[in-house]
Amino acid sequence: MAEETTIKVAAPPRELEREPLVLNNRSFGWISDKIAGIAEGKTAKWWWPAFIISALVMTMMFACVAYLISTGVGVWGLNNPVGWAWDITNFVFWIGIGHAGTLISAVLFLLRQKWRTSINRAAEAMTLFAVVCAGIFPVIHTGRVWFALYPGYLVPMPNSNSIWPQFRSPLLWDVFAVSTYGTVSLLFWYTGLVPDLATMRDRAVTKGRKFFYGIFALGWTGANRHWRNYEKAYLLLAGISTPLVLSVHSIVSFDFAVSQVPGWHTTIFPPYFVAGAIFSGFGMVLTLMLPIRTVCGLQDVITLRHVELMGKVVLATGSIVGYAYAMEFFIAWYGGNPYEMYAFKNRAFGPYWWAYWTMVSCNVICPQLFWFKKVRRNVIVVFIISIFVNIGMWFERFVIIVTSLHRDYLPSSWSYFVPTWVDICTFIGSFGLFCTLFLLFMRFLPLIAISEVKGVTPQADPHHPLGGAKSGGHH
Amino acid sequence: MKIIPPTCPEPEVGPKYWRSLDQLAETPEFNQWVEREFPAGASEFNDPVSRRHFVKIMSASFLLGGLGFTGCRRPEEHILPFSKMPEGYIHGVAQFYATARPTRGSAVPLLVKSHDGRPTKIEGNPNAPESNGGTDAFTQASILNLYDPDRAMRFTHGGSEKSAAETFDALSGISKKFEATGGEGLSFLLEQSGSPSRDRIQKLIAAKYPKARWFTHEPIDLNTEQQAAAISFGQSVAPEYRLEKARRILSLDCDFLGAEENSFRSIRGYAKGRKLETPADDMSRLYVVESIFSITGMNADHRLRVQPSQVLALAARLATEILKGGNLNGLSQLAASFKGDEKWIAETAKDLLEHVKGSVVLAGHRQPLAVHLIAHAMNSALGSVGEAVLLRSVPKTADGSLGDLANALNANQVDTLVVMGGNHAYTASADLNWTATQAKAKTVVRLGYYEDESFAGATWHLPAAHFLESWGDARTADGTVVSIQPLIEPLFNGVTEIEVLARIGGLSVTRPLDIVRETFKSVSGLDLFDEAWKKFLHDGYLANSAWKTVTAQANLGAIGQELARAKAPAASELEVIFHRDYSVDDGRYNNNGWLQETPDPITKVVWENVIMVSPATAKAMDLQVIRGRTPDDLKNNDLGVTENNDVLEIELNGKKIQGAVWVQPGMADSTIALALGYGRSKVGRVGTGTGYNAYSLRTSESPWMASGAKVTKTGEVRRVVSTQEHGSMEGRPIIREGNLAQYKAKPGFAKNMDLEAHAPNAGPIYTHPYNSHPALKSDVHQWGMSIDMNSCVGCNACVVACQSENNIPIVGKDQVNKGREMHWMRIDRYYAGDVADPQVANQPMLCQHCESAPCESVCPVNATVHDEEGLNIMAYNRCVGTRYCGNNCAWKVRRFNFFDFNKRPNDFADMSKGAVGKLYLGPLAKREPLEYDLIKMLSNPDVTVRMRGVMEKCSFCIQRIEGAKISQKVKAGASNDVRVPEGAFTTACAQVCPAEAIVFGNILDEASRVSKLKKQERDYAVLGFLDTKPRLTYLARIRNPNPAMPDYKQHPATFDEYENSSGGSGEHGSTHAMNHSEPVVKGAH
Repeated sequence: MAEETTIKVAAPPRELEREPLVLNNRSFGWISDKIAGIAEGKTAKWWWPAFIISALVMTMMFACVAYLISTGVGVWGLNNPVGWAWDITNFVFWIGIGHAGTLISAVLFLLRQKWRTSINRAAEAMTLFAVVCAGIFPVIHTGRVWFALYPGYLVPMPNSNSIWPQFRSPLLWDVFAVSTYGTVSLLFWYTGLVPDLATMRDRAVTKGRKFFYGIFALGWTGANRHWRNYEKAYLLLAGISTPLVLSVHSIVSFDFAVSQVPGWHTTIFPPYFVAGAIFSGFGMVLTLMLPIRTVCGLQDVITLRHVELMGKVVLATGSIVGYAYAMEFFIAWYGGNPYEMYAFKNRAFGPYWWAYWTMVSCNVICPQLFWFKKVRRNVIVVFIISIFVNIGMWFERFVIIVTSLHRDYLPSSWSYFVPTWVDICTFIGSFGLFCTLFLLFMRFLPLIAISEVKGVTPQADPHHPLGGAKSGGHH
Repeated sequence: MKIIPPTCPEPEVGPKYWRSLDQLAETPEFNQWVEREFPAGASEFNDPVSRRHFVKIMSASFLLGGLGFTGCRRPEEHILPFSKMPEGYIHGVAQFYATARPTRGSAVPLLVKSHDGRPTKIEGNPNAPESNGGTDAFTQASILNLYDPDRAMRFTHGGSEKSAAETFDALSGISKKFEATGGEGLSFLLEQSGSPSRDRIQKLIAAKYPKARWFTHEPIDLNTEQQAAAISFGQSVAPEYRLEKARRILSLDCDFLGAEENSFRSIRGYAKGRKLETPADDMSRLYVVESIFSITGMNADHRLRVQPSQVLALAARLATEILKGGNLNGLSQLAASFKGDEKWIAETAKDLLEHVKGSVVLAGHRQPLAVHLIAHAMNSALGSVGEAVLLRSVPKTADGSLGDLANALNANQVDTLVVMGGNHAYTASADLNWTATQAKAKTVVRLGYYEDESFAGATWHLPAAHFLESWGDARTADGTVVSIQPLIEPLFNGVTEIEVLARIGGLSVTRPLDIVRETFKSVSGLDLFDEAWKKFLHDGYLANSAWKTVTAQANLGAIGQELARAKAPAASELEVIFHRDYSVDDGRYNNNGWLQETPDPITKVVWENVIMVSPATAKAMDLQVIRGRTPDDLKNNDLGVTENNDVLEIELNGKKIQGAVWVQPGMADSTIALALGYGRSKVGRVGTGTGYNAYSLRTSESPWMASGAKVTKTGEVRRVVSTQEHGSMEGRPIIREGNLAQYKAKPGFAKNMDLEAHAPNAGPIYTHPYNSHPALKSDVHQWGMSIDMNSCVGCNACVVACQSENNIPIVGKDQVNKGREMHWMRIDRYYAGDVADPQVANQPMLCQHCESAPCESVCPVNATVHDEEGLNIMAYNRCVGTRYCGNNCAWKVRRFNFFDFNKRPNDFADMSKGAVGKLYLGPLAKREPLEYDLIKMLSNPDVTVRMRGVMEKCSFCIQRIEGAKISQKVKAGASNDVRVPEGAFTTACAQVCPAEAIVFGNILDEASRVSKLKKQERDYAVLGFLDTKPRLTYLARIRNPNPAMPDYKQHPATFDEYENSSGGSGEHGSTHAMNHSEPVVKGAH
């Protein structure tokens, strides 16, 4: 518990003054209590209704998936030129969301961006759950799911006829990229959790909790040796994760870039997709964290400075995405390929013009508001913009996939895609799955990296007047 | 060429094989067995419960089929292995039998494939005279009717089931009853037929019952043509148009490439007259005058759209030019009402006159007698009669019409009416009020294929046998006698027309086989009868039995007399034209799913008929046709995107119909076109709920044209389903067209179009696997295909043939609406030029079998791979259905099984009702066992039936390739001569093509036709710039317009559109494809 102190702290020079990452000089004890308390205490009143609704929505998705698998992919609105639509749109959408987690936890870690600590845990959890949601779609979108999952078809294992999967196919690269990404993200998230799990174990009051937290805390004692190994491992994993931030979405973009469909066959796709993924990921982090920050009273840990910084990332990536949109048009014109030119003209002014302009408004125009500090620090406005970012990024994938496919080379096969109720319910249901997982995470695991947040408080510095154990701080 | 049946075997000593059934039949035991009419156990088939059981076990019995009665299914008791294999029979190897499909007054000679006793595929008989093995879509699809679960399956009296024996007793009763009166009160209503046996029986009955009356009726009537020929030439003749000899063809509303009878023969001749091997070749020129946009119109070099009533005036006006010297009564008076482009007439006439003896004028069946007479007069004047127009002497028919019968019925002169086929309750003109009229007969005996609209009016109803179940004979269009022999015993006890007639006539011989043999005796002469009969069955035709040609010239006097009497059809603000449907004919194929799902060649609409109007008329009527937009916003590229089409009500002569409107570019203004054959009220599961019934507006006086229609908008809108929603090529050089002069000036113009001509150095980054790994490539066979778009007329025969050969399911209207049709092959139709009067170009589109196939590299599971012979093949077992291959296919020719279409119930035409729901029930939806098992029998056992979730596409008929390779290997023995010789086989689409537009073969064989075609300068690859090296290449279409014509343009409209969109602004000038140098043409591999 923080105690009153009379020690005067000299203000740092003005140019070095920074907004602290934890406000109100919160002590280590307060941090532990506050964060662990969300998972420990009595279930908050809002949690149960939120959970039940999410679980019901999730059930709706599984019902739709069961219907889809039992009856055929035709229950979706796909048709002959448009072989992919909401299925792959949702896949790329969810995978993209996952990117923020890894970026925050790995890239920002390596770049020593200390502000990451307040949001990295939740962002990583979000990544994992987004990968779960993402992983469902490419599996269920296949015509024969039972074979898609069978070893020897997509899982590289030669069958009795010595047939391997086809290594030239970007879809197979996807299998590797996404599963690697999922695995590394899980490891990274879990490694980061170990010290906090030990905290939870130590604070646990029931046997069951003690047992389970104990199992997963892997015997953590907080010994120096543990910390040493832990930090090495964390650093290594951060190193391993960093290229994945770039690779996964690059490979996902190859699904399109490697093909010869006008509007897909574009070299700009890998960087453009990665920027878009980070953009959408931060959008989703904001969408998630802003309400949590309020309902859990975490304003001192997730400060306005955090919100503002994330707003800056959104602005930067949103501008990159906007540049990419413009560049696509330029290249289509500059390349002189009439098929390509038509594809882009059709994107903006064809039957799906509304989707394109929704995307542009949400992804390019909206984030530009973040040039203003007032906007960046207005939680409600930021929240609204983050929702637009999510919508815009879903439409980006929809625009790329559907408008390119519905009118490609031979006008005779041109068609129009209309989703069915199964398309819609499956997609909405995936949010149910995501929210269910996230609510469970909130309820059972520390939402914010306790140990890491402590490390970035001013008093973590042993030389800080409040630092170390000088004044009875018992953590 | 193509599949050649083995030569007729030498006379054998002992009876061994079903073809020598007559020999077998000589033994008393066999005769006794056959006399039972149907083998033991057959009575089971009448019971609906055990019939189902029968169908279930039938598939098992078929595994051992082959011998038995006429080589068909044998009674179940005899399911035993062969103790002695019949000679020449190899289990699992298909056999081919020659037979024929009877049509209106003629027949299509066929070679039908039978797998262990089940007919599975129909081919044209390539050896028959005037045949190249090509057929039409109807013939291809007619096999599906054999296995139609909605067929009439029972004998009924007053609607309740009777046994065959009871029914036959009743027929004998009729025969006895009228013996006393000489046939007073007995009337026969027949369909047109060319069968010598029916003719003979008819004569026998007529002799026995001299007072019996005979009537024939066809809803698609060809009587006018016969009448006109008889008047013009003073004798009963049938003109035969030798279009291959014609240099100039003028069609007066004559859709000889589509809706006229025996169009497959016309297509063959027409295509021959336009084949180009070298730029020095000449080709014919086609002028078409018509109101609707027909297949013939699509192929025209000059097309003039006029209201239906104007055709006569135009013909007369043209005739005055052509017959300048000759004086023809009444002509000038008819020509006076002509209002139109005089230059068009003058230049056409001039061009025809410049090609004396090579100019042919054809008049269509929709046109009145006067037009036909004028056409004959013109042909005579042009010197073509006896040259490009042959006259064949045909016997006269004196049967009455349906109207005559109605008069007799109304006068209560008919006691017993015998109706053979047809569906008069549906097809009879509205003014005859047929159901009530026919009820005036005391007894109506009807032989019908379905228990349809006419079923209720029949006292006795007999199930008709399919032609593949029947013994019979027929005459083709030129009179050649062809045999009809059964490939399978009647599945549901059906009987043939000649048997029923013989029974009613009380003739001593009633077995169809005996009747046909007897007829054949009289036709062929008695010398060596058995040998001749055997050869007749084997070859399928009797050589030199065609009608004799006669020489005659048109009698202008007689024609003039008739013309002076002729009245011009009433012109009005809004004229109505009825037309035969390209998919369901006169409605007889309404319950045929293949044909229902075959896109109309012009509109690409499936599963219904629409009310066609021109864009200007639609605008005048203020119709909404596209997503709430008016025709004012129409550009041809949007035509076909059809949502919310206004539903119109058309009132004519007090009768009303309702149908969805369809704006058809190129239609004559102020004209409404109504297709016959839809809107059936009592039809099977497939046809229910398709379209409106145009027959209900027809009058017997003027069955093809009407005026005074009242059109009102109902306010309703409806989605019209078509397979092609975009009508313009958007300036893309997909179909490359040039005019003849353009081609002669620059034969390689087609190669100069699109991007490959502009980036000649662009090549692949990687070496072709065939070069880097030569072991991967077979040096024996490399398959390739060439499609000559100058020959293809767009008749759809290949589409249905492919469906039949490759077990392609139909998906139903709601699924086509969603863009999920399964056809491996489609015919793309593009409009170019003015939306009011566009040019149309067709292109058969199927898997291009790219050497560097974009589909292969993206499949994650190696389900679509390349073989050493250049085929892009599908391993269905590997496919998990990611659809990536389909996305990456630039030609969009891959088809995905979104559902288990093969297990789907049949009743799915109606989008609004539960049928759609059944599909979405998934595993809970069941197909009725009878239906399911019957359709299974149709399947080609050499081709996998695909389940849901699997991608499929054209395989170049790999089953045929492998079959040919195996038999060649067997033949080669130790000689190692394993190369399949040219002509040993071909793909289903190539085989059926009457125009020989599709050619398939081994491109390693320098002498093969396909190699030669690919060397032609017109050869190009669609989207060749993608450098996927397709094995399917196309030959550019060449149009042959007349430079003197007012509508002449230097280039085809598609060519101009291409130049405007991609080439014109460049450094090459306005026609850059004509100017710049040859591109670097990359070799095949």
